[in-house]
Amino acid sequence: MESVNEIKEALSARSRTATLDELRSEGRRRVRLVRAEHIAAMISEAVHTAIEQSGLIGQDEVDRLVDKSRQEFRSILKEREAEVQRAHEIEETLAERETELAALKSRCAELTAALASKQQAPAATGAAAPSGDLVMSLMQEMANMKASLMQRDAQPAPAAGAADFSAAIEKLAGSLNDRLETIGKKMGVSAAVESNTPMDFSSLFADDGKSLESNMENIEVKQKSAGGIAGNLARLKKLKGGS
Amino acid sequence: MTQHQNHNDPSVDHGADTAVALGKGLDVGTANLAAAVQNDEGGITVNVERNAFLDIPSDVYSKNMLTKLKVPYVVHNNKLVVIGEAAFELANVFGRETRRPMADGLISPNEQDALPMMKMIIGKILGEPRVQGEHCYFCVPAPSLDVDNNVVYHQGLFEGMINKMGYTAHAINEAHAVIFAELAESDFTGIGLSFGGGMANACIAYKSIPCLSFSVARGGDWIDKNVANVLGCPRSKATHIKERGIDIRDPKSREEEAVSIYYRSLINYVLQNIKTRFESGKNMPSFNNPIDIACAGGTSMIGGFIEVFRDEFAKIDFPLPVGRIFRSEEALTAVAKGCLVAAAIGES
Repeated sequence: MESVNEIKEALSARSRTATLDELRSEGRRRVRLVRAEHIAAMISEAVHTAIEQSGLIGQDEVDRLVDKSRQEFRSILKEREAEVQRAHEIEETLAERETELAALKSRCAELTAALASKQQAPAATGAAAPSGDLVMSLMQEMANMKASLMQRDAQPAPAAGAADFSAAIEKLAGSLNDRLETIGKKMGVSAAVESNTPMDFSSLFADDGKSLESNMENIEVKQKSAGGIAGNLARLKKLKGGS
Repeated sequence: MTQHQNHNDPSVDHGADTAVALGKGLDVGTANLAAAVQNDEGGITVNVERNAFLDIPSDVYSKNMLTKLKVPYVVHNNKLVVIGEAAFELANVFGRETRRPMADGLISPNEQDALPMMKMIIGKILGEPRVQGEHCYFCVPAPSLDVDNNVVYHQGLFEGMINKMGYTAHAINEAHAVIFAELAESDFTGIGLSFGGGMANACIAYKSIPCLSFSVARGGDWIDKNVANVLGCPRSKATHIKERGIDIRDPKSREEEAVSIYYRSLINYVLQNIKTRFESGKNMPSFNNPIDIACAGGTSMIGGFIEVFRDEFAKIDFPLPVGRIFRSEEALTAVAKGCLVAAAIGES
């Protein structure tokens, strides 16, 4: 192959390039073509013939050299082909990695954008710092909205479009309600209402002491005498404006 | 007032030969229970019982013996439960610990089955209501500065118990009751302190109106626990040492020295917390004249208490002008007496 290339270079160096129009203008209608490989084969044959006829190297030696050269050539050819194959595989792997890298970069950008939006949400909440009254009024507003929606639901057979709209509003109201509840809890504002009914623990003593055997009836407790409270009561009544 | 004149007055017991004003005061203390009632001699009678019990194996011989010795008992879960002061004495004899229905001023979550016993003690010292729905004012501690306690449950529990006995129950702050009992001469303006078994309560009032109330969860039990720890003895033994009549200014033994040290520490702790709380109080009234400080409660009954209190008070820069610092002459019963004053006013 080396010789073929050399021959090509030699032919290229000792020849000129002409277009078909130029050849036509020179009166040539047909040209003969010969491949560089054929020229190399002819030169190789001519060299072999010359060496054989010179009597410097025996035929056997020539054949051995040719075989050896051929083997070397095939070995080198295989190595080159293997290198080309490896290069090809590396190119494919590189292409795959580049694709993966592009996908990861894209995912990274998405996550960064999501993180930025999430960080902005609480920051906005904190920056807004709604007062407890504001949160309570918003909660009241949401309760009114829910009540009106419930009233609307109670009305007979709404149209399909209206039902969808109502459901969407309900969903939005629920979402906002949850959000407000969360904000309210964070701020220590509870929507819960304290019961006005006092806790009655008397049921804890429903049966206590009734069935217990005891001698308490016959025991006298220790008694102490202390000063009266008439003076205290008089002072208290005076403070209260009584007689 | 004569009986005839008070014929239609519900605040007078018409069933008795002599007119006696209605209303009862009850001190629900960690260490002692005390019920106060006005007597027909113009004074008050206070029934006191220790808030403790001790269970012993039940058998006929023990029952008879306890009855002969006039020791109160209840049979509960096949055990003889000795109640009150006798339980404390028996515990000392046998080297055991008494069981306590209350801890740190509140009903103890570890002694839920003590409620029937406690109801029996309260029923015994309070007696039957003289008229249905007679007012009974009972004391409750203020929320603590140093522990998270559930006063609501405690208050509701005793309200239910007392109402069940036929009274109309009302809760009053323990230190406010001290003010009702001890600061009449100051028009009920000043600071009331109740040093109880489970905690120390403080209240500052202006003309009987409480301005600020709180408590700290240290009291006589805290002293007993620490004395018992350093001496390596049961708590009831430490209580006995403390109550046998010692003077904390002049301890005579290692045991008394331990009691004295922890008493001084308790007084200092209470004063420091009062000072801090008063300094940070947003709704504190301003007083033109010095106000009095009245101390009461069973833990203040030890010899030298008020002198040590004054010593420790002098060491701190108290934020209010203070006049007299004194201990109630009836320290153990002052809270019950204050509750009775509130009940009598409520009845009238």
